[in-house]
Amino acid sequence: MHEKNIRIIPRLDIKGVNLVKPMQTEALRVMGSPKVFIDRYYKDGADEIIYLDIVASLYQRNIDFDQLKSVTDGVFIPVTVGGGIRSIQDVKNALRAGADKVAINTYAIHNPDFLTKAVQEFGSQCVVLFIEAKKQNNGMWEAYTDGGREHTGVDAISWAKRGIELGVGEILLSSIDKEGTRQGYDTSIVEKISSIAPIPVIAHGGAGSPLSVEDVIIKGKADAVALSSLFHYKEYSINDIKKHLIEKNINVRYEG
Amino acid sequence: MKILDKQLDALPREVVFCKKCVVSNQRPRIVFDENGVCSACNYAEYKENKIDWDAREQELVELLNKHRSKDGSFDIIVPGSGGKDSGYVAHVLKEKYGMHPLCVTWAPFIYTDIGWKNFNNFVQSGFNVLSCYQDGVLHRKLARTAFEVKGDAWEPFTYGQNSYAFHIALKFDIKLIFLGENGEAEYGGSMKDALKSYESIDDWDHFHYKGAGVETVLEAGRELGILTAEEANPNRFLFYQPPKYEELANAGIQTHWMSYYKKWVPQENFYYASKNTGFEVNPDGRSEGTHSKYASLDDKTDGFHWYLGYIKFGMGRATRDAMMEIRSGHIDRDEAIALVKRYDGEFPSVYFQDFIKYLDISEERFWEVVDAYRLPHLWEKKDGMWKLKQVVS
Repeated sequence: MHEKNIRIIPRLDIKGVNLVKPMQTEALRVMGSPKVFIDRYYKDGADEIIYLDIVASLYQRNIDFDQLKSVTDGVFIPVTVGGGIRSIQDVKNALRAGADKVAINTYAIHNPDFLTKAVQEFGSQCVVLFIEAKKQNNGMWEAYTDGGREHTGVDAISWAKRGIELGVGEILLSSIDKEGTRQGYDTSIVEKISSIAPIPVIAHGGAGSPLSVEDVIIKGKADAVALSSLFHYKEYSINDIKKHLIEKNINVRYEG
Repeated sequence: MKILDKQLDALPREVVFCKKCVVSNQRPRIVFDENGVCSACNYAEYKENKIDWDAREQELVELLNKHRSKDGSFDIIVPGSGGKDSGYVAHVLKEKYGMHPLCVTWAPFIYTDIGWKNFNNFVQSGFNVLSCYQDGVLHRKLARTAFEVKGDAWEPFTYGQNSYAFHIALKFDIKLIFLGENGEAEYGGSMKDALKSYESIDDWDHFHYKGAGVETVLEAGRELGILTAEEANPNRFLFYQPPKYEELANAGIQTHWMSYYKKWVPQENFYYASKNTGFEVNPDGRSEGTHSKYASLDDKTDGFHWYLGYIKFGMGRATRDAMMEIRSGHIDRDEAIALVKRYDGEFPSVYFQDFIKYLDISEERFWEVVDAYRLPHLWEKKDGMWKLKQVVS
């Protein structure tokens, strides 16, 4: 029996006014209004929500904080918000607009000190290191930025270690190879980072069935799982996933 | 320097950008309406609102019913590389409409690893493919000549991409050739065939060979001393030229565009091909010169085709990708401008050495040729650096 409660977290990728869903971080398909989706997931028993403006860094612009505020209005579960965050003021704006935590990728890779500053200002529990990892031919995983489009040359595992040293409270780890494909999570990179991380690791990218969620928890040792396609396309509900995990003796918050 | 690209002379001297997308009037053959909107955007709107796609699909079914073989023999030719677009066309014809495609691939100059992988994934997903590999010496010299006199080493690729399929169609008596999109209508160009399902053979020279087909380029190559007289013999370039018009007409061979029959959305082709033909995106993240990860991946020289387009017309690969995405409704104009400003004209450095080695030219010669194609109404030199005079805003 797993001791800890595994959190099931719908991930909302945002572009402009729309919820979108890419595949391998490319080809952003418009799904509809983020408000409709967040309300559904809140009602269906999501443990938390991840809300990412996945093009803010690409377009070198800020997340729309007013929109964030209206989307998260009435949603009383923790919300992690990311996308183009590159100043303390951005974090403040996000927190004011309904975020409980912020996820940072692009700016942090180029300015790791920013993580330290954010942790000092807001506390570890507030700062999530978002890593977009892509497996390389040499067997390593490289961290990418700008919505999975830019190389950094940074090894994803070393970067995770560094982030932990800098004080982040959580890691959101997304596999570019698996994202949107429903082929299952990249359990290998999740396991490699989970096994060295004293902080929670949220696995994202590739969920194709309740079984793939079980896999990333058992084999990948993930502390939480983020899903998008399966929920957005209504292939499975949050309870479908939770029921399966309960059958496998994995603890989840379940209210039926 | 001798320049044979006739379309350069026809470019308007005053640069105007489309009000809806990021294309400018420097794109050959594009037209703007009285509201400053380009033909491709108008076509996109027409495509979105005016076309009865169910009726179009019915037309497709009727056409295919006429040609479908009853004994399992090949009944349709699909040219392509196994990328997202040709993968979609071939697969949907086979699986949804019960056709028996023979696919033909005109090999890239230099395969990328991902291009080769995607090609093989495509084959493994259930297709017969004939690949045509060209004589490496002649192909390279032709590419070198085209680079010099047309400002585009890619051109020999386009010759064969079109005509090889016709040779195979004649050889195996297959009447129907299915292409992906009508590029002229979809991306801005001649609207002559926008409402037609097929392309007239008579138009090829004008649209695709830019007023100078392979024979003209061979002649130039001989004059420049790149090709010997013996090498420049057009008979050695059979697949680079379409068969005789009469032969094709007599055989009743027709070329149709899938984009006439089914709404052409490259992004949806990507989803389809990923699911059905094993297509994978660029493992390096975005391709150089653009934000996209899923287009034009097969050939190490592709980046230079787009880069030279940037030099000649002031619009590179990001402009092309962004304007298509605007028209499909995936991004808005501000987003497109941000992408163009960030990525357009980025030099394709990853394969630069492969490219000049392939063409057998020095870096100096590469830049001499590039600079010869900078038109004075587009470019100016400031502090020793070339800059576009107008960028989209």
